[in-house]
Amino acid sequence: MATTVEVPTRTSGLRAHASKIAIRGAEMAVGTMLFILLLEAVLRFDALDPVLWNLYFPSFLDGIVLSLRYLGIILPLSAGIGFLVGWARISRLRVISWPLSVYVDFFRGVPPIIIVIFAAVLGPSLLPERFRSQDIGITIAALALALHSGAYQSEIFRAGFMSVPHGQLEAAQSLGMTQGRAMQHVVLPQALRLSIPPLANEFAVVIKDTSLLAIVGGFELFGSSFIFEQQILFSAGNQLSWIFVVWTAVALVYFVMTFSVTELLNALDRRYHVRGLEAISV
Amino acid sequence: MIRVEDLEKHFGALYVLKGITLEVQKGEVLVIIGPSGSGKSTLLRCINLLIEPDSGRVFLDGNQVNRRDIRPEWVREQVGMVFQSFNLFAHLTALQNVTLGPTRVLGTDAATAQAEGRKLLARVGLADKWDAYPAQLSGGQQQRVAIARALAMNPKAMLFDEPTSALDPEYISEVLDVMAALARDGMTMIVVTHEMGFASSVAKRILFMDAGRIIEEGSPEEIFQRPKQDRTRMFVGKILR
Repeated sequence: MATTVEVPTRTSGLRAHASKIAIRGAEMAVGTMLFILLLEAVLRFDALDPVLWNLYFPSFLDGIVLSLRYLGIILPLSAGIGFLVGWARISRLRVISWPLSVYVDFFRGVPPIIIVIFAAVLGPSLLPERFRSQDIGITIAALALALHSGAYQSEIFRAGFMSVPHGQLEAAQSLGMTQGRAMQHVVLPQALRLSIPPLANEFAVVIKDTSLLAIVGGFELFGSSFIFEQQILFSAGNQLSWIFVVWTAVALVYFVMTFSVTELLNALDRRYHVRGLEAISV
Repeated sequence: MIRVEDLEKHFGALYVLKGITLEVQKGEVLVIIGPSGSGKSTLLRCINLLIEPDSGRVFLDGNQVNRRDIRPEWVREQVGMVFQSFNLFAHLTALQNVTLGPTRVLGTDAATAQAEGRKLLARVGLADKWDAYPAQLSGGQQQRVAIARALAMNPKAMLFDEPTSALDPEYISEVLDVMAALARDGMTMIVVTHEMGFASSVAKRILFMDAGRIIEEGSPEEIFQRPKQDRTRMFVGKILR
């Protein structure tokens, strides 16, 4: 009998996936360059026009920073809400699951742009006076967007939980695990794995939905660029082609943000992929 | 080792177990047969308290265990269970399936659990499959890993719920062989199965259940060759055909 025991590990670490992402990123960059060159040729504009970029760069940068800050709130918060609500909704307690299903139906059924407006306009008046800073409405609107996406994500997580066959829980319990332990070691690891691919899809939507905050004065990337566009349209000496440059740059940044986040989740998916996990459902 | 007295269970309006009494001695193999819906699976799940019986008593080693002051988990630690649909943890390798119980429930350290786990996998003839995921194993192999997983808890008794019913015919014997070897080693077993060959050669007693009641009990010869009750005769006639 062997005295030393090999510890089973996954040899393919995140490093291998990182290089895969790098290669895909490079491919994307080359493709984008070619696309911009083509646009320049057809629409006759100069993507690197120094006059434009001198004017636009501050708005561009501020917009990116603000977008990232909103995403820093919205993505983790919505995932947290989605996970907890999805988990709670599989509970058979109607006291818990009924109000949550109302929440999900409401936030899925109302256009996010209306949710943003309502949150920004009505939100502050629900707060005590001393919390009403100048842009509290935008923050509340961002939180409302997180609730909106959280509703979608709760359905993703709920489906993940429900895809784990009941027999898995039974088998864990028959080993003497408590319900909590069985959840932790058997149900959760499977439910989360099954939730990652649809989650990447939803994150891609949320990232672009942050642009809706512009309508209530949240000047993230879309909003700040829109203001800039309005300014140059009515100022002398501008060129119409600048508009193409601005929106190409904005679209490119949204693309990079979306691509990075979805690739990160795809890498997670590959890292923890188990062959046939989806197939075992008796 | 295991004794059940006047066990009753309802699921809503469904009266599933209508007063079951049975006893299994240490080292004995009891086979339960009966048509589907007769309550066999529910009975097994009541014995390891996966399902809480409505009334009646379950004894393990002479102590009543379906009591408020006894954690059902403590009972399940000591009574292994093997399922019809294997229920291997799909995200874990064969070895991880076997070591999960010892490490997470018994607190065994990982190295010991893995060494024990490899021995158990060797015992069910799967030493070389330790790092395979369930989806990479045949049904027969999965069920043998499931047996090893249950054995890893060092149980006092094992419950088998139709362990070969979901298997392709060519994999049935490899699972039955493992179970027969287990019986020879003195494991106390309650087996729900329709494998008459296995029942005749391994079981000392057979119990026929129908509609939530034990209809007849006896040696394999008595049940298969000379059943006293009409219902037993009809059922045995069907499965022996």
